[in-house]
Amino acid sequence: MFQRSEKNLWRFLVPIGVLCSDSATRFATRLSLNSTQPSVKSHLLEPDFFFFLLTWRSAGSTHSEAGVSQQEALEALQAASSGHGVAAVTALELLQKEEEFRSIVTFCSQLDEALGGGVPVGKVTEICGAPGVGKTQLCLQLAVDVQVPAVFGGLGGQVLFVDTEGGFQVQRLVDLAGAAVRHCSLLAEDEEQRVAMTTFTVETILSNVFLVRCRDYVELLAELHLLPDFLPDRPRLRLLVIDSVAFPFLHLHDDLSQRTRLLQGLGLRLIAAATDHNIAVVTTNHMTTRLRGSQAQLVPALGDLWGHAPSIRLLLRWEESRRLASIVKSPGHMDATVQYQITCQGFRDADQSEQPQSKRPRTQTDQSASSRENTRT
Amino acid sequence: LKSFREVLVSSEPDLQKMTGLSRPDVQELLHAAASACRTRQPITLQLQRGECRRLESGLRLGTGCPVLDQLLRGGLPAGGVTELAGASGAGKTQLGLQLCLSVQYPVEHGGLSAALYICTEDPFPIRRLQQLISEQPSLRSDVPPSLIGRLRFSDNIYLEHAADLQDSLQVCLSRRAALLLAQGRVRLVVVDSVAALFRSEFQPGDWLERNKQLLTVSSMVHHLSHEFTTPVLCINQVSPALGLAWANQVTVRLMLRRLQATVSRGDQSSALRRLEVVFAPHLAQSSRDVAVWREGLRGVLD
Repeated sequence: MFQRSEKNLWRFLVPIGVLCSDSATRFATRLSLNSTQPSVKSHLLEPDFFFFLLTWRSAGSTHSEAGVSQQEALEALQAASSGHGVAAVTALELLQKEEEFRSIVTFCSQLDEALGGGVPVGKVTEICGAPGVGKTQLCLQLAVDVQVPAVFGGLGGQVLFVDTEGGFQVQRLVDLAGAAVRHCSLLAEDEEQRVAMTTFTVETILSNVFLVRCRDYVELLAELHLLPDFLPDRPRLRLLVIDSVAFPFLHLHDDLSQRTRLLQGLGLRLIAAATDHNIAVVTTNHMTTRLRGSQAQLVPALGDLWGHAPSIRLLLRWEESRRLASIVKSPGHMDATVQYQITCQGFRDADQSEQPQSKRPRTQTDQSASSRENTRT
Repeated sequence: LKSFREVLVSSEPDLQKMTGLSRPDVQELLHAAASACRTRQPITLQLQRGECRRLESGLRLGTGCPVLDQLLRGGLPAGGVTELAGASGAGKTQLGLQLCLSVQYPVEHGGLSAALYICTEDPFPIRRLQQLISEQPSLRSDVPPSLIGRLRFSDNIYLEHAADLQDSLQVCLSRRAALLLAQGRVRLVVVDSVAALFRSEFQPGDWLERNKQLLTVSSMVHHLSHEFTTPVLCINQVSPALGLAWANQVTVRLMLRRLQATVSRGDQSSALRRLEVVFAPHLAQSSRDVAVWREGLRGVLD
């Protein structure tokens, strides 16, 4: 029988398990589809259960916790270990797949460089900062940049913008869209790019932004719950913005355990959406003061457990009159700090001179991009 | 389980225990609850510009002065909390009064409806209001004087006094303000001032409790503002005590500062002020010089 401490340890393994391999949910889903037993199928859809199996392989200790009979547990273990109907994915293949994933530029080239191209597709990126520092601005910029046509090195994708604070202003998006269209018009060198510009206008940019306003955390949870229905109908969607995640959860400050549980579920959903549907998920977060003894520190809100959800954390802050962006958490990048500014045209490099560099991608990326286009269903 | 909302916040194992349903059925239940909780479908912006006026974030309340309106790209946004901070004597209350008047004009002249003014500290400056009212024709030269003459300004400002945080202000916001807004009788709420309440009630050590109250008040004003598409102006003496917890909930922050210089016009002279946009989602950081005349605050062009 289980001891209390073992149960708690199991809970801990769940978030770590998901972090270790973000193809886990896909694996579990694939397994379940191939399984013959319907009850096993539904159990395997739970990523918790899957890792539970992997970490507690001694049969007989799994069933009582997960509510599964011993027979079912054995079957599930067999299915997992035999890899029935699942092709093994090598690390090299994963790496190649990651390199194919594009990024969304921020139009601040220094930041894009530090990020290795831009905000990555397939991952959850969090933007933290004090009020007024530019989090919503960066989100609006990304909502425009994701739509840059492929011939200019963009993704030509759509965006779902979830606004919880009411900070979304159509007027500002129109400004940014206009600036981006002008920027690309100046860059258009050949016929292909000029043709692409006919479908890249302020009107089309607006029409590719899906806006949802969530007034509290329950509406936010509902919206994310319905994501798996919303996303498959929109294969062009490449960006999901939640501005902000912190705001609706501010009111749960007195029920921290519920807040932690809800945030954990939310984090898992966002990671699943990012990896399964190949979209970039961007969330914004507030800063809060934490007292450490007698010292007050400025830290991202929502607690440490939420901090595990995003793969990349960008911290925006003021330093006297300069605006700085730092990468404070990323498995693939070094911690770096760059300077940026926010102009009437949007998010840009600091002290940028008006010199549009050619954004035409190199031929190798062209080939891989076009071959990907052909093979994508 | 009483409502869809409760269903959504419960975990799946809890739901299974409570309802005795199987896993797929619980997921169906969650799905149905989510669909029910969703107030509106995500639609694209193109449609929203024309059809969905509620989500139209372009609605603004002008101040009555074209220079200031240009600074604010139209005026105060209708959904969201605008904070007006500044030291005592800068002119914040006067700007609040000016907005209470500009809101009363017909829609074609930038107005909306009536105003609700919640005082917390000083008594309501009734004399200054009377002066502003009598000088409206000189401020609003864009509106025919006959129309101005027909407006009953002082009748359309609802006054409330909130002496303390717990009972007065929260009750006032949650009941009186909500009722007036729901009836469409009021389309501007001014709270003058927020910091006053927090200063008097809390000792410096009561940090946690104060934060909680701040969150409650700010969420109330936020909710009212979005629910009824109404601009809310919160006047605040600059106070480091309010800090991040408050700032995180403010949509637009404006600052009004007194400068050393003075400016004169005819027989009047005024100390010069500067109205600055500290942050706003749709505005660049910029500022304008402002003078306070008999008819109200007016931006001064160089």
